[in-house]
Amino acid sequence: MLVDQEKCIGCGVCVPYCPAAAISVVDEKASIDQEACLECGNCFRNDVVPCPTEAFYEKPGIYEEPRGIRRFFSDPTTTHSVTKVPGRGTEEVKTNDVTGRICRGEIGVAVELGRPCLGTSMTEFEKMTTALAAIGVVFEEANPLTQLLIDKKKGIIDPKYKNEKLVSAIVEFSAPIERLTKIMETIKEAAKSLDTVFSLDLICCFEADGTLPVLPVLQNMGIKPRVNSKVNLGLGRPYKIIRQPQEV
Amino acid sequence: MTHTLHRRGTDESLKNDYVLLVTAASGINHVGSLDKLRKVLEVIWEVGPANVGSQHLGTILQGYSLEEIKAALNEVPRIRCAFSSKEKVREIIRRLKELDLGISVTVEGPTTDIVEMSNEMEIKPHSVNLSLDIWGKKEDLPSEEILEFVTMCGHGLVSQYLVKEVTEDVKNGKKTPEKAAVEIGIPCVCGIYNPDRAIELLQKYVPQK
Ligand code: SF4
Ligand code: SF4
Repeated sequence: MLVDQEKCIGCGVCVPYCPAAAISVVDEKASIDQEACLECGNCFRNDVVPCPTEAFYEKPGIYEEPRGIRRFFSDPTTTHSVTKVPGRGTEEVKTNDVTGRICRGEIGVAVELGRPCLGTSMTEFEKMTTALAAIGVVFEEANPLTQLLIDKKKGIIDPKYKNEKLVSAIVEFSAPIERLTKIMETIKEAAKSLDTVFSLDLICCFEADGTLPVLPVLQNMGIKPRVNSKVNLGLGRPYKIIRQPQEV
Repeated sequence: MTHTLHRRGTDESLKNDYVLLVTAASGINHVGSLDKLRKVLEVIWEVGPANVGSQHLGTILQGYSLEEIKAALNEVPRIRCAFSSKEKVREIIRRLKELDLGISVTVEGPTTDIVEMSNEMEIKPHSVNLSLDIWGKKEDLPSEEILEFVTMCGHGLVSQYLVKEVTEDVKNGKKTPEKAAVEIGIPCVCGIYNPDRAIELLQKYVPQK
């Protein structure tokens, strides 16, 4: 994003709105550190940041590769032209009763790097994808970030995106429930080398008796889910919870 | 994505914080779902949400009306809104079950309460997305008090610096919790930030007379 220097009156109203602390006012003019800017679009939205002179404007070429991925992945109001897939991830549990993306006996995992607050570079993203690829994880095809990997088997990101930074980036995949312990151990290990944080999601179907088979496994590992979660009530149709053998 | 998960806070402060998501699945049941979701928005409005929005337009906190939000729903429509009471969530689940639209309904909030309400209404929840917390370089994060506000926008658009500045204004008596709560929530473009919960969180900063 850029600030029109002619229009800016240096009032500083915009400064706290930037989640990346990329805006500063020097000599009564605001400017944006282009390396730090994640292109989230906050400052550009006049119904969000009350800039009295509407001085923000989009940098020419902002939607082109490779910088375009900052814009598409950081700003939830945009629709991708790079990946052709909307959003940072899939609909995960939100439509799971209809898509059957995760059925009984399976888990869905999302590692959201950079969230909260810190943002992430694609280099940090690759630390996680390479660690998980090494244990045979198959990344979710419908996740737009998977499309930026040039070697999905090794989890290698296309080098042209390596210098890009995003508000967050989600590593997403599903696996048989038996792999839960190995996957959590790998994520835990990879976390040690990261220069950012991540929020960790685990999707699982309820059994017919209402229990969640992942809970005892997590307990064994000393991992306690937080009190609040997202529950798909199962009101969608067509309804799917069992994977047929021929689909595997 | 997972933007409604990972809201932080004490059990007490999260107990009346819910997000409702009604989502058509692209390529499976999205055809013809637009009118159904417009109907759902009307029902939500009757029950009384704390916030409603559309990421293609904005939220009621930004000043958009229900009619504008309804009009902004697209071909694969999705509804996101926040509620501030368990009773209202119970009522909305009851009404959505009654409507039987066949569109996926997901509720974010305290797991045991959601499961309990579902059981009461003979609904068998399908699946859950559990939050396994934050990992990695946690020492670089702001305080939990700041994170409670920031994580109410899962797209990361509520800046920690804005929260710090606005809470300072409340401490100095320059802003009421009500005004501050809206100011912090305006960057959340899809409507899952809960201003009622924010007001409660901000009360502790009000200077004592
Ligand atoms: S686009 Fe986002 S990250 Fe960039 S300067 Fe504006 S608010 Fe900051
Ligand atoms: S709000 Fe607008 S006028 Fe004020 S400093 Fe920022 S860009 Fe300049």
